[in-house]
Amino acid sequence: MGRYILKRVGYMLVTFYVVITLTFLSMKMLPGTPFKFANRLTPEQLNQLKHYYGLDQPIPVQYLHYLWNMLHGDLGGSFQYGMQPVTEFLLQRFPISMELGIESMIFGTVLGIVLGIISGIYRGKFLDWGTVTLTVLFISIPSFIFAAILQYFFSVKIQLFPVIGWDSPMTHVLPVISIGVGVMASIARFMRTEMVEVLNQDYIVTAQAKGLSTVAVIYKHAIRNAMIPIVTVIGPMTAAVVTGSLVIENIFAIPGIGSQFIDAIVTNDYPMIMGTTELYAALFIVTILIVDILYGVIDPRIRVSGGKSS
Amino acid sequence: MTTTEASVTKDLFGPVEADNSESEKISGESISAWKDAVRRFVTNKGAMASMIIIALIVILAIIGPHFFGYGTDDQDVSRANLPPKIGALTWIPAFSGQEGGVDIYKEKHITTNYWFGTDQLGRDLWTRTWNGTQISLIIALIATLADVLIGVVYGGVSGYFGGMVDNVLQRILEIIAGIPSLVWIILLILIMQPGLFAITVAILATSWLSMARIVRGEMLKLKNQEFVLASRTLGASDGRIIFKHLIPNSIGMIIINTMFSVPSAIFFEAFLSFIGLGIRSPQSSLGSLINDGYQMLQIHPYQTLYPGIIISLLLICFNIMGDGLRDAFDPKLRR
Repeated sequence: MGRYILKRVGYMLVTFYVVITLTFLSMKMLPGTPFKFANRLTPEQLNQLKHYYGLDQPIPVQYLHYLWNMLHGDLGGSFQYGMQPVTEFLLQRFPISMELGIESMIFGTVLGIVLGIISGIYRGKFLDWGTVTLTVLFISIPSFIFAAILQYFFSVKIQLFPVIGWDSPMTHVLPVISIGVGVMASIARFMRTEMVEVLNQDYIVTAQAKGLSTVAVIYKHAIRNAMIPIVTVIGPMTAAVVTGSLVIENIFAIPGIGSQFIDAIVTNDYPMIMGTTELYAALFIVTILIVDILYGVIDPRIRVSGGKSS
Repeated sequence: MTTTEASVTKDLFGPVEADNSESEKISGESISAWKDAVRRFVTNKGAMASMIIIALIVILAIIGPHFFGYGTDDQDVSRANLPPKIGALTWIPAFSGQEGGVDIYKEKHITTNYWFGTDQLGRDLWTRTWNGTQISLIIALIATLADVLIGVVYGGVSGYFGGMVDNVLQRILEIIAGIPSLVWIILLILIMQPGLFAITVAILATSWLSMARIVRGEMLKLKNQEFVLASRTLGASDGRIIFKHLIPNSIGMIIINTMFSVPSAIFFEAFLSFIGLGIRSPQSSLGSLINDGYQMLQIHPYQTLYPGIIISLLLICFNIMGDGLRDAFDPKLRR
């Protein structure tokens, strides 16, 4: 297990290094300048500005400089906000995105597991049919369309929730639902498959033969075993939540990293784009790592066969 | 019941003469795996309905933009923000040409009907919507091709040759897959100018990964089986073994996976256009139309409604069809 974790951490570092390098290189290839009124500046002024921001040095030097600063937690200054440190911005906005993400994950996971269990137990019945239909709809409809529908009906038409913002608990409801239903649908689908499979296992028949009540069989034997593989979907789920929150933050004007990122792209704010991209990548890579390790801990069969085979 | 049972006596039973030639006979025609899958797919009502809806959308996307002879970018402010009106359907509130109880068409003295209404620049939304659908479908097509060409070849080579080749290819793939596809796509789109080409390259670059993995797995499973050994003994080349034996045997998995990459490609285009990184005006795509309409959502909800319905329908139908194909090709995976 120790060796496995070490190997995974090694891959993680390599991947992350590649991300940093690629982000840096693509930023250097970007068209346009980061200066607002570049066409009104004289070449001397432009050179002065470039010198001030360190953009006049050869690219390898800039690269090493960037790496060195990064090791010290310094992601450079935002071009757009008068060289305020990017790290500061991200630290300030990250908790908000995290809050949105975690709330959506909890909402989606809990509801998804419950729906999946119900659907699995009543397989082929009306309840199952309803759940399956619902999951296909929620997996297919893009979160931003869903958000627009919710916003239109619940905020504009019946004015139950605020249209935009992120302060009182009421403002959390619609964004969390918008992201959460996608999570819910994927998890419900997965949970249903697991339930159906577990309920067909021999040990369920044994439990029934012992005379256990249906509730006890389902609660003690079926659900517990069906829950294990749920851990594996949580990794890919994170990616979906990150993508979702990017648009949802924009739609509901939530001051998280997502809306900041879109803002930075539009204004060619290189350091901000790089910082945010790296944060996203780090988040994604670390989550996958944790999920893989967690899975090894929960399910001993995987450890025996020497790590997940993918 | 008891009375009839009593009348059945032992001497009514006797051995049946078994004809040896009968046991060799195969009743029912022989069905290939392919035919079997088609048969299962056709009986799946949801999947068939989805296929018909997709076909309708494809046909409308091709002929729709030519219905009224407007171009995608024909602007005319005098006919801006007209609600949808369809001559024969004016009894349905959504197609009456009225907004807030007022007949906008009468107010603006406009006699032609706009089926999906017009946007704030007076562009015909029917034309723009179906043009946008074309873009989504083109992207779906490209994603499919990328999956099949890059993914199958990469996975096939990696799985078949194994050893050092596999090791190198898998490490590369692991690193590419370790970076979220959103980050890849945004970086690629930043370098290139946003537009159809950039989106295409971005989707090409990320969509083949899962296909490569799946094909590699299939190859590893199949390559040591007897029929491959037999073929090799007969002197078949590597290329022939891969393309004649291994890939046809994993075609089910390939088709299933392709079907699921189509909706995700359509979604990504819409997502990127919605956040302003994709197709830009004057060109239209379903995502950019939803974005444009979204600005007017509170006043003119119909501008978001139709592109939203069409993209949702496309995604739902492709997903249901994918599920249907999976059940048809691999009944073991039936959920």
